[in-house]
Amino acid sequence: MVKNDFAIKHPLGLEGDATDIIAKGTFGAVLSRAGVGKTALLVQLALNAMLRDKNVLHISLNDPVDKITLWYKELFNLLAQRYAFEQAGQLWETLLPHRFIMTFRVAGFSVPRLKERLADLTGQDIFHPDMVIIDGLKFDESIREYLVDLKKLAEEQSFSTWFSVHTHRHEETPLNSIPVPLLDVEDLFDVALRLQPVGTDIHIQPLKGPISGLSPLALDASSMLIK
Amino acid sequence: MDDKKVRNIGISAHIDSGKTTLTERILFYTKRIHAIHDVKGKDGVGATMDSMELEKERGITIASAATFCEWRGHEINIIDTPGHVDFTVEVERSLRVLDGAVLVLCSVGGVQSQSITVDQQMKRYKVPCVAFINKCDRSGADPYRVIGQLRSKLGHNAVAIQIPIGLENNFQGIVDLVSMKAVYFEGENGEDVRIDEIPSALMQEAITKREEMIDAASMFSDKLTEAILEEKEIPEELLISALRSGTLTREITPVLMGSAYKNKGVQPMLDAVTQLLPCPSEMKNEALDMDNNEETVILSSNPEAPSVALAFKLEDGAYGQLTYIRVYQGSIAKGSTIVNARTGKKVKVGRVVRMHADQMEEMEAIPAGYIGALFGIDCASGDTFTSPGITLTMSSMFVADPVISLSIIPKDNKSQINMSKALNRFTKEDPTFKTYVDDETKETIIEGMGELHLEIYVERMRREYGAEVETGNPRVAYRETITKKAEFNYTHKKQTGGSGQYGRIAGYIEPITEAEFEFVNKITGGTIPTQYIPACEKGFYACMAKGPRMEFPVTGVRVVINDGAAHSVDSSEMAFQAAARGAFREAYAKAKAVIHEPVMKVVVETPTEFQGPVMGLLNQRRGMIVGAQDDGPMCVIEAQAPLAEMFGFSTVLRSATQGQAQFTMEFALYKLVPQSIAEELTENAAKAKKGIQSKS
Repeated sequence: MVKNDFAIKHPLGLEGDATDIIAKGTFGAVLSRAGVGKTALLVQLALNAMLRDKNVLHISLNDPVDKITLWYKELFNLLAQRYAFEQAGQLWETLLPHRFIMTFRVAGFSVPRLKERLADLTGQDIFHPDMVIIDGLKFDESIREYLVDLKKLAEEQSFSTWFSVHTHRHEETPLNSIPVPLLDVEDLFDVALRLQPVGTDIHIQPLKGPISGLSPLALDASSMLIK
Repeated sequence: MDDKKVRNIGISAHIDSGKTTLTERILFYTKRIHAIHDVKGKDGVGATMDSMELEKERGITIASAATFCEWRGHEINIIDTPGHVDFTVEVERSLRVLDGAVLVLCSVGGVQSQSITVDQQMKRYKVPCVAFINKCDRSGADPYRVIGQLRSKLGHNAVAIQIPIGLENNFQGIVDLVSMKAVYFEGENGEDVRIDEIPSALMQEAITKREEMIDAASMFSDKLTEAILEEKEIPEELLISALRSGTLTREITPVLMGSAYKNKGVQPMLDAVTQLLPCPSEMKNEALDMDNNEETVILSSNPEAPSVALAFKLEDGAYGQLTYIRVYQGSIAKGSTIVNARTGKKVKVGRVVRMHADQMEEMEAIPAGYIGALFGIDCASGDTFTSPGITLTMSSMFVADPVISLSIIPKDNKSQINMSKALNRFTKEDPTFKTYVDDETKETIIEGMGELHLEIYVERMRREYGAEVETGNPRVAYRETITKKAEFNYTHKKQTGGSGQYGRIAGYIEPITEAEFEFVNKITGGTIPTQYIPACEKGFYACMAKGPRMEFPVTGVRVVINDGAAHSVDSSEMAFQAAARGAFREAYAKAKAVIHEPVMKVVVETPTEFQGPVMGLLNQRRGMIVGAQDDGPMCVIEAQAPLAEMFGFSTVLRSATQGQAQFTMEFALYKLVPQSIAEELTENAAKAKKGIQSKS
């Protein structure tokens, strides 16, 4: 396969798969205020997993399918440029079968529903996710119940899950402490990363998990690629 | 004639959103017709715009007839655009001719996949539009949801300029937010428009929505912003002109509402067309100068300038060929001489008419900005006509290559003659429809953009021309291409009495993606004399038509020649052509040729409970599912599937979803055929070859 010829730098500076940051059945979170780059980071994690033949199920509660495909395409093109992939077009074609996008209306999303959809996919052998991204879930009072159910599902189906968590300005917490939305459910998460705009860059601050000791990482604010 | 009072509009929409009914009502209120018929009319007359019998039967519009009508001193030309995605060439050509469009949406169905396709086309041709949310009387009507979809799915800055008075069964009329009046439609056919005060229950909603509208419009007018800041009464004209500026640049899409079937909201929509959509001279039209390397030239709408007109639609009428034209510059008058820019032929203009679906009105001349029709002019659709002496052509429209073909065999001699007449007509009307006779099987082959596309033409052949034909199995247009650079060094030598043949060519072939075929001559020192180079190119090019591997057309090859040899007596053009063919075969065998197949973008809309089965169906058809969009009771599944697997999909889909799912399909890209399928194809090709040989 073409894609194995490329050694892409791991998005978070780790060796191995993006899926390895968090084990199967566990949760990771990317936190930031609106518009800082949660989706961009999640898509990069997803692309990285896809490049390693992992299947990614991307669930979005805000954006239509077209917009999400655009995210992937754009970020892939930027990566392709940066690492000067040969035959990027062909590589892209081989990546696509590793991605499945589902969108729900916020109100229509529930764990039983997701389970049903997943059963549709796995039962007919259409798609078996190794990694699930849930973008746009609201972390409010009832979130714990949701996550506990979801964790059960994730363990059953053995996939790892990344969430985007929207934080609010008025709930701003000091550096290195867990922000409000995640506070109640922190125990369910193995990894938490916070995106923080600093000057023209966006810093990725590890709040929890095995990467807390690493050298500082940042997103390039114009391309949203990890530097 | 005053061009400011002319509107060339299209009515474009998803199938079944009531476009033809709306057109029918427009013609009625503008007094072009005197009775109303419905699309699937019980009276057997059918709507006036659907002039083809077949369209009447299926309840869909295929051909885009142009119709003329008048409303409040404005002349409106309506181009009825087809509603099915398989006919997108016709849609696209109509869009070229329009200055503005009414996007009709169903208040229940909302923005459906087809609307997205049509909208993208409008975007490409920068056609300003207003939206009309139809069927507000149907149960489940929710115009605000549709406005939300216009924003989220199509990215329009949709702004309601009306609100409904009641909905579903209780739909009574609309509130015009510009004049802040309620509008009711009375009389047997809604022809009496009664203006009244806004019902008090709706007043608060009307005020809020009006504020939203003014807010959006203020972006386009400083005067309006001033008036708002000074808290003055806002004059209607000011508001309309601000909305209009936003509409013309496609930065605002004003949204109107109504129910054409129940005769509500049509007249205000006509007002909006005259007030908000552009007149011909406000739109920039470009042509290409053939003498000047196809530089773009901006056309002026001055009727005195040399004429430029586009033939956008042909129809076979009772009096011979009828050619619909749009004049962009100058004017086309009866008795004048014009030149067909494609063929260079001069033609004299006979009768000039203006069309109203099936009836017509004689005219002296068609000035710039107007749409009309000519009689007895031999041309193909998409041709440009100009005054003698100028060499402009309207830019060639993008025409996709056909992806599917079908053999047709006439049942008897009479059908044979009629079939060729019909094919001659269809190929002129529709550039995506092609026909040829297969050299080997001697069968007539028709090619097009999809199964339905070809089915409709076969059907039309039977109905309109009385040609009974048998069709073969549809065949997919596969392609071959190479994946590796490969060298050749081939000598063609023959000495069998008389003058011999000698030519040697060396070089390599390599895959390219940006062009179908490229020939590069890197010969130095004249090892192949210059006069034979074109023969080499010709020889290579000839090989592209039928690949040595599977006999599919070859694409994406660059041929580079860098060495060779010639003989002073025995070399000839013939010899080098033969050498090139040999060289191509030699290199091709080493160049790892692969087969590509057309892959379609398939979008299925289905009730959510059938999501699983539908995904299963697509998966079985080697479909790659891109995503599933869960939208409450309905969901939209987008997939890419090879055309070869999609035959008969509509039947399977219907039975799997109790007829509740719809799908659209359009060509997306060519993709590599998986190994197992490629082997199957090779086997079949080998069998077919044998079959032909044993027959002959």
